Formats: sequence, C-alpha cells, structure tokens
Amino acid sequence: MTTSAPEPLLALSNVNTFYGQAQVHFDLSITVARGHIVCLLGGNASGKSTTMKIILGLVKPRSGDVTFDGASLIGLTTPQIVRRGIASVPEARRLFADMSVRENILMGAFVRNDREAIAQDLDRMLTLFPKLGQRLSQRAGSLSGGEQQMVAMARALMSRPRMIVMDEPTMGLSPLYVDRVLELIRTINQEGVSVFMVEQNASLALEIAHEAYVLQTGKIVLSGPARALKDDPRIRDAYLGGSEAA
Amino acid sequence: MSSWLDYTINGLIVGNVYALVAVGLALIFGVSRLINFAQGSIYLVGAYIGWVAVVQLHTPLPLTIIVVAVAAALVGLIIERFGLRPLQNSVRIAPLLATIGISFVLDQLVMLTFSPNPRALPSQLPDVRFQVGGGTIGPLDLLIAGVGLTSALLLFVFLRYSKLGWAVRAASQDRDAAMQMGVDVNRVNQAVFGIAAALGGVSGMLVGMYYNQIDTAMSLQATLKGVVAEVVGGAGNVPGAVIGSLLLGLVESYGVAVFGTSYRNLFAFLLLVVVLVLRPNGLFASARQAPPEPLTGTFIAPSRPVRIPRWALLAAAAIFAVLPFFPVSFYVLQTLINAWLLGMLALSLTLVAGTIGQVSLGHAALLAIGAYTSALLSMTLSVPVGLSIIGGGLMCAALGTALISPSFRLRGHYVSIATLAIGEIVSLVILNWESVTRGPIGISGIPPLSLFGYDLISPTSIYWFSFAVMVVLALLQGRLLTSHLGRSFRAIRDDDIAARAYGLSLNRYKSLAFIFGGFAAGVSGGIAAHLYSYINHETFNTQQSILALTVVILGGLGNVVGAILGSVALVGLPEVFRIAAEYRILIYGIVLLLLVRFRPQGLLGTM
Repeated sequence: MTTSAPEPLLALSNVNTFYGQAQVHFDLSITVARGHIVCLLGGNASGKSTTMKIILGLVKPRSGDVTFDGASLIGLTTPQIVRRGIASVPEARRLFADMSVRENILMGAFVRNDREAIAQDLDRMLTLFPKLGQRLSQRAGSLSGGEQQMVAMARALMSRPRMIVMDEPTMGLSPLYVDRVLELIRTINQEGVSVFMVEQNASLALEIAHEAYVLQTGKIVLSGPARALKDDPRIRDAYLGGSEAA
Repeated sequence: MSSWLDYTINGLIVGNVYALVAVGLALIFGVSRLINFAQGSIYLVGAYIGWVAVVQLHTPLPLTIIVVAVAAALVGLIIERFGLRPLQNSVRIAPLLATIGISFVLDQLVMLTFSPNPRALPSQLPDVRFQVGGGTIGPLDLLIAGVGLTSALLLFVFLRYSKLGWAVRAASQDRDAAMQMGVDVNRVNQAVFGIAAALGGVSGMLVGMYYNQIDTAMSLQATLKGVVAEVVGGAGNVPGAVIGSLLLGLVESYGVAVFGTSYRNLFAFLLLVVVLVLRPNGLFASARQAPPEPLTGTFIAPSRPVRIPRWALLAAAAIFAVLPFFPVSFYVLQTLINAWLLGMLALSLTLVAGTIGQVSLGHAALLAIGAYTSALLSMTLSVPVGLSIIGGGLMCAALGTALISPSFRLRGHYVSIATLAIGEIVSLVILNWESVTRGPIGISGIPPLSLFGYDLISPTSIYWFSFAVMVVLALLQGRLLTSHLGRSFRAIRDDDIAARAYGLSLNRYKSLAFIFGGFAAGVSGGIAAHLYSYINHETFNTQQSILALTVVILGGLGNVVGAILGSVALVGLPEVFRIAAEYRILIYGIVLLLLVRFRPQGLLGTM
C-alpha cells in the first residue's frame, strides 16, 4: 500500500438531489473507507434516507457522482447495484411479511447461484442470530420488531456483500435489542464488511462508528472521526437546527 | 330438467374457467397493484387463436393448448413491454387507463380480422356423457377440470420452488425491498404478464369449446367475471382467486337454476357489490391487512389548466349558436348534436372522475336511467316531453346516486370496478324487469322532443335545444367548481384522509357530486331517448362509458371546457375523416393509449 490515502470503497461526490422543485441534497460528499463503519446523522427531513436511496439507485441524483470500488453507480438499476456487492437493511426492516423467516433470509441470496455455499451461509446466520433457529418456518410478519431486525440483517448478509447500508437499524427497538443490534453491526464489520448507516440516535451511533457525518437540511455541516465528534457540542446544535453549527 | 348435481358440476366447471382468468389478474395485481382490464381481451385472443389452430391448421388438442398458451403469453409480454412498462413512473391512474385502451384495441383488431359474427369452435373431443350419481359429466368437463388443476399445480410449484417464483412473491409483498435483494422487477412483471396471458388465453379457448361458439363480446364479460372472482377472493390473493372463482361459478349456476339464464350475470355482479361493501379486501383477507390502496395526491396527473379567455369562450359559443343560419348540411348538425349529448355525459363524468376523483366506468348506466325514465314518463303518464326529460335527470340524480353509494367507501381502482359492476347491474335489471322496461324488446315509439307544446323535429331546432341545455349545464358546473363546494370536492380527491381530518363528510360530498353529475347524464339520456325514438338495454353500453372517459381525459380531468372540447373532437374528427364505424372504437382505444402515455393531463389540463 502506498502512503497516499487508500481509495475509498464508497464515495458520493457533489451530489445534488431534487424532489420536483425542492432540493434535498446540496453538493453532498461522503466517503466510506474500506472496512469502516460510517454513520450519517441528522434530524427529520435532513435528507438521510434519501442518501440511502441514492446509493441504492432508488432515487437518481440530478448531478454529482456515486462510486463504489472506483466504478460509478450512476445509471445502474437497483438490482445491478446489489450485484456489485451492496446489501441493505431498509428503514422499518421491510421484510416480506407473508413469506417464512427462512424464505426471507434466503431472498437475501437472490443474486447468488452457489446452492451449497448458500446453505452453509444460512447455517452461519443461525449461529450469528441463534434466536431465529426456532422461527425459521414462521411467517416473518408475525415476529417482534427486534426479531424482524435480526432477520433483516441476516437477509442482508446472505448476499455476501462488501458493504451494507442500514437505515435507522435501532429505530423502534427495545433498549435490549438496541445494544444487541449495535453489537452485531460491530461483529459484521469485524468480518470485513463495511457499513454505512443512517441514524437519528447520535450517541449510540457514535459508539460504534469510525467516522460520522452530520446532515442538516441537505448539507453536511459537520464530519470527522466519531471519537472526536462524540463530545462535540455542535452535534447537539445541528440537531436543534442551530444555524451557527457550521 | 337437469339435476342439482348437474348445476353443481356446471358451476364448478365454469368456476374453473373463471379461475384461469382470475389467477392471472391476482398475480398482476399482486406485483403491480393494477387491475388489468385487458385480461378479457387476451382471453378473446386465445379463443380465436384456438379457432385458427383447430379449424384451419387442424392441430390435435394437446398441441392446440400449447399453441394458444404460447401465443397468448406473447401477447401478454408485448402488452407489458410496450403498453405498461413506459408508464412505471406515471400517475397511478395511468396503467389502469392503458389496460382499458389496450383492451379496446385488441378487441377491435380481433373483430376486424375475424368479423363480429360468432364462430363455432369444435372441441375435438368425443361427444359422450358419463352418468355420475344423479348428473352427467362429459370429456370436455374433465378436460377443463384437468387444465384448471394442472395450472394450479404448476403455478404452485413455480411460486414455491423456482427462483423467479420467489421473486414474484417477494415483489408482490414489497416491491422496493425486493429490488434491494437484487430482484429485477421488470422481469417479474414480464413473468407475471406472460403467465396471466397464457392462462387467460387457454381459458378463452376452453370456453369457446364448451359453448362451441366464440364471438368478440366474450372479452368484456371475461374481464368482468375475472375481476369479480378476484375481488371476491381478495385482490392479489392467488389461492383466494381460485376459491372466489369456484364460488362465483356455483352462485351463477344455482342462480340460473332458480331464476333462468338471463339472471346469470346479475348474480355475479350482485355478489361483487356485496363483497365490496361488506369485505372490500375480499373474503379471505386477514383483518390486520392495510387498506388496499392508500391513493392520494398523484392518482390524477397534476397540471395547471390552460386559461382560456372569456371572450374566446363567448366567441366560440356564439359561433356554434349561429351555425344553423349558415348553409351547413344536416349531417354536420347531426354530428354536433351527438357531440352536445356526449358533452353532457362528459360534464357529468369529468365532475365525478376529475373533480372528486371517483373514476366511474359505468356512466352509461346513468344515461339509461335518464332515458328510460323520460321515455316511460312521457308514454305511460303522458308527461310533456320537456318535463319528462327533467324528470329523467332528477330520477337519475336520485337513483344513480343511491345505486353508486355502496362504492363511496371504496378508493381508487375499486371505485372503477364497483361502478362498472353497478352499470352492468342497471343494464341487467332493465333486461329482466319486463313489466316496466319491456325487457329485451325495448321501448319503441318514444315521442319526439318537444318544448311548450311545440315538437322539435327539424335538426336545427334539436341542435339549438341540445346546445342550449349543454351550455346551461356547463355554466352551472363552472359556477360549482369555483364555489366552496368545488374546493371541497378537490380536497377529497387529492387526499381523502386529510379532507376527513378537516371535518369533510366524504359520503355527503360524493353524493352531491353524483347528484349533480347524475342530473346532467340523466338529461343527456332523456334527450337521446326522444331523439332515437327507440331504446333497449343495450343502447347505453360500456363502450359509451369508456368513450366518455376518453373524452374526459382528452379534455383534461375536471375541466368543463375540456369535456366539451373532447366531445367535439372525438365525435367530430372521425366524421371529418369519414372513418368507418368499426374503426372508430379502435381509434378511441389508440387515442386513450397515446393520451395516457404522452399527455395524461389532457388537452386543456386537469383542474
């Protein structure tokens, strides 16, 4: 490896996004280094979820570029992007409610064709998420919120992604499950998967993230190593909408 | 007299046929939340491909089935690729309208190719019947049952064990999440349309063989029956569609056994209305299922209406008012009279569909109510014709609103289905209520138009009369739209939940819209009755409902001037270009398709 900074796994550069007339992102630039957990913080309507949709190709930016492993994702469809190695844990889990837990997890491997390895990975998921073992043939819609989050994470891992994007993984979970989810994100990351997560809960997210960005009405107002941001008063300002934050 | 067992067998066989159509509809609804009104046309195409294969190519039965399935699947793929995929990011109403347009185009193409005359479709099976208990069963019954069961089994295996089948199930539960798993939704749509079309086509062929007759009227009936079965079973629910179909077949068969053949469809549509009112999510929907269609905002293409200066409108009205003083032919006047009558219907529909957002597909029924009321008032009660027409309008406002009121609690596509069914019910009641409506014979010798004792017989006087009535109705409606009431209508269309939260009673406002719209449509029907002097239960049919819808979309939904402009354009232009009658429906279908694709807001914009 050379002394210059390594090429990031994911990079958004100068992204501008619009919903009709309304601009959602203003020259948004975010990078996710290989093997890191990067967290995007922000309040309601700051453009966090849209950032996720941009990465996944569900929303097209008007200008700017999104690159993954050096290649642009602009113009690719969502399934093509998934095949490049990005998996997602969508907001509110979005399981296939009428399919069984097993079917949901296996849907995560939709882009793969190696049957035996898929079966092995399913077993691996059951060691990672032991609770799901007894639930395999149950309807996914009948699980509790925390269990559904486990299924959503297992489903994302089944594609053997290089990166997982997560939209508010702790939202609506009991405190016990929040800790469990954060622990799992760390575990997943230690196995070499980069993580980009969108969160409202700044203090929790900064616990596990390497870097963080703070988004406020479509602009990055603050960014840096998570450790440095943890005690930064400007985080709170950004949340309360203080314009002096920058 | 056949036994009850025979009626049961017949009901199950017919139910099997419906199931082949309904399962396709359910698959498509599951993935795209779309009711495919072209499904019956594919069924029709299947029947005629079967005819070509059997009668002209002399293919053996197994090969015929394969040929029909493959050819129909191809038609389905073409519809998906060129008719619907371009509309993916369009407003919610667009694909629905597109399937209606596609259905018109396909039906007319079949009619132009094969002529509207019925043809015999021999089944190639030996004509024997086996005694089973107290009834009999033939080889064709067994074939239909076999095809039904085999298709169900194949579909089950496909959905449960194939990768594409998993993708179909995932996409129908959460389209976005499926895409994030790498599912290509376009391929899923293709698969679903291909399967639905293959099943629908085979179904049409089997029905043709069952009755040994095929004709182009099969299409709409099949769509209606399939939709009934699918909705009864729960939209998008594949096993539900099968059970709904068998139930529908049995209800119809027993209804026929008790009341006679002409009641068959009446039972089907009553079943639909009952299910829609009591359990809009179908008989098998789980209670916690979300309402099927949270349709707000973008159902109708938003746009800024074209502002037409007052002087231009006045000038146009003046030109049309003095037109008869110039040496124009009777033919031109006749054409414009038709345009004014259609204009009144379009005013009614643009209010109901455009302003308050209830896309009615049964508007011709309102014409029929107005026409029969006015005709019967003038003939049996000797009411003067001018008054009888007003009576027709009032009756239509009252009865039409009462009939449609069960659909008030529905939204989006379900309103269209319910109004379509209610329209069919009206026509069937007219057919069967012989003591009042004279049933299939129809009413003849209806007195001509008259006003204050003067008969209006010359085309000029009829022209002025119909033009004046339409202008008055248009002015009233224009006034209505700028009032507080008009704003409330639009609020309900744009977001009925928010409107309710602000204290608007949906039922009251929907009733008011239908009362006003019903009056205009009833007057139009009343005038038409006295103009035609003969009407029957088929004078005002679904084609007219769809024509009115095309007019309204052409003009711009909710747009009063647009409704009139659309009427003049769609009635006038085919006359100007002297297009033969059988091509007109084809052209209306194509116009509808082009509008939906390229100018969903219509010529003058939605309001």
